Amino acid sequence: MSDWLAGTWAVFRKDIELELRDRFGISVLLMFVVSTLLLTMFAFGQQQIEVHVQAALLWIVIVFAASIGLGRAFVSEVERGTVLLLQLHTRSSSVYAGKLLFNFLLVLSANVLAGIAFVALLNIEVVDIGLFATTLLLGSLGLSGASTLLAAIIARTANRGPLLPVLVFPLLIPLLLSVISATKNSLVGGGGWAESGEHLVTLVSFAGVVITASVLLFDYVWKD
Amino acid sequence: MSHVFPTASRRKYQLIRNVVVIWLTAMIVAAFALRIPFINILEHTARNLYFHVPMWFTLMAAVFVSAYHSIRYLGSGDAIRDIRAAEAARVGVTFGVLGLLTGIFWSRFTWYQGTEIWWNWDPRQSMAAVELLIYGAYFILRDSIDDPEKRGKIAAVYNIFAASTVPFLLYVLPRQLQSLHPGAEGNPAFSEITDPVMRLVFYPAVIGFIGLFWVLYTQRTRLRLMEERVEDIRFEKETRGDTL
Repeated sequence: MSDWLAGTWAVFRKDIELELRDRFGISVLLMFVVSTLLLTMFAFGQQQIEVHVQAALLWIVIVFAASIGLGRAFVSEVERGTVLLLQLHTRSSSVYAGKLLFNFLLVLSANVLAGIAFVALLNIEVVDIGLFATTLLLGSLGLSGASTLLAAIIARTANRGPLLPVLVFPLLIPLLLSVISATKNSLVGGGGWAESGEHLVTLVSFAGVVITASVLLFDYVWKD
Repeated sequence: MSHVFPTASRRKYQLIRNVVVIWLTAMIVAAFALRIPFINILEHTARNLYFHVPMWFTLMAAVFVSAYHSIRYLGSGDAIRDIRAAEAARVGVTFGVLGLLTGIFWSRFTWYQGTEIWWNWDPRQSMAAVELLIYGAYFILRDSIDDPEKRGKIAAVYNIFAASTVPFLLYVLPRQLQSLHPGAEGNPAFSEITDPVMRLVFYPAVIGFIGLFWVLYTQRTRLRLMEERVEDIRFEKETRGDTL
């Protein structure tokens, strides 16, 4: 067990260090989030946007950003030619867990920034900050859980680039619906915690199911 | 690399196929010929029940068959399992599209008569749309991998992974969207609006269309197996020609 944890931690550390070296992944994500939010801001101009539309906008931006940013996790290993080394050195479940952890951190930091920028730029009032933050956290967990296995899948395809959005969007619809409802509840005129219970439960179980399924299936993608 | 054909007896297969064909013909005749009770709004379009609803049952059956063979493929690595999973999905998509079309036209000219609404956000309709999206992604993924073994494995993983998220739609969508279907809030249950006469045609229709799915799906599987065999023979001949 401690062996497994050490392996997971090593994979995670390696990814963090590589990321800090060129900061490619995180800068792309952040730039994507900021520029998309600016675009929506220009598109809406001075108009006040309805609460449901606000929540939907935030999450559509986040989902698109994640589907672009998270696709690199395994493609980068293929490009560097380090897949074989990882396969030999570390148990595949450790690789998965390390990558999941890294992806989660990546998407969470992008989402926090997106949340702040969104609230500041679009003039939105968050009533229940705790609920807003919880939703961002659980949303990030489900998002990274669903896309990490798919990132490993696209690393094995011939044209590795733009496939992740196509593969991941159909699976994210339950997540998107719940997360938008919960976010809406945390804004002005929403229902607060009282009405968000079932959405949060859905988010937790969604993350649980996709991560469990990924752990079970990851071996088949990772090993030849 | 040679493939063994599925070991079904040819006569038994032909027998089942003929039964399905006759069964469906009888069912379609009965669907248009039998008297049905008057139902408000629907009137004679209620006959669409015999076609629209079985399409969904068939799509569901196809989803199960496809996921089952994907799981078996990961276990055995048997090429036929991959072919079966892909062909079940392909035929399932056809039934899904037909189910969507029959549903859209049905609602447009009954409940939405006089409005301009074609697409309504009914949970089941949305779920079918998502299911079709998943299979669209599944086939794109298949096309992007050349090596058959790798393609089978990766596609099977995606198929199973996607199937594991579908139950959430069953839970989430009905809470967020209004439904036209029987059994939903405020709508009468299925048994209340259907007359015994209609059920007499409806249940055989479900069986008939699932049978049709089975025939199409096994035919396509055999076709794919034969294509691969032809390919193998051609390859063998070419390589032999080179050495001579």
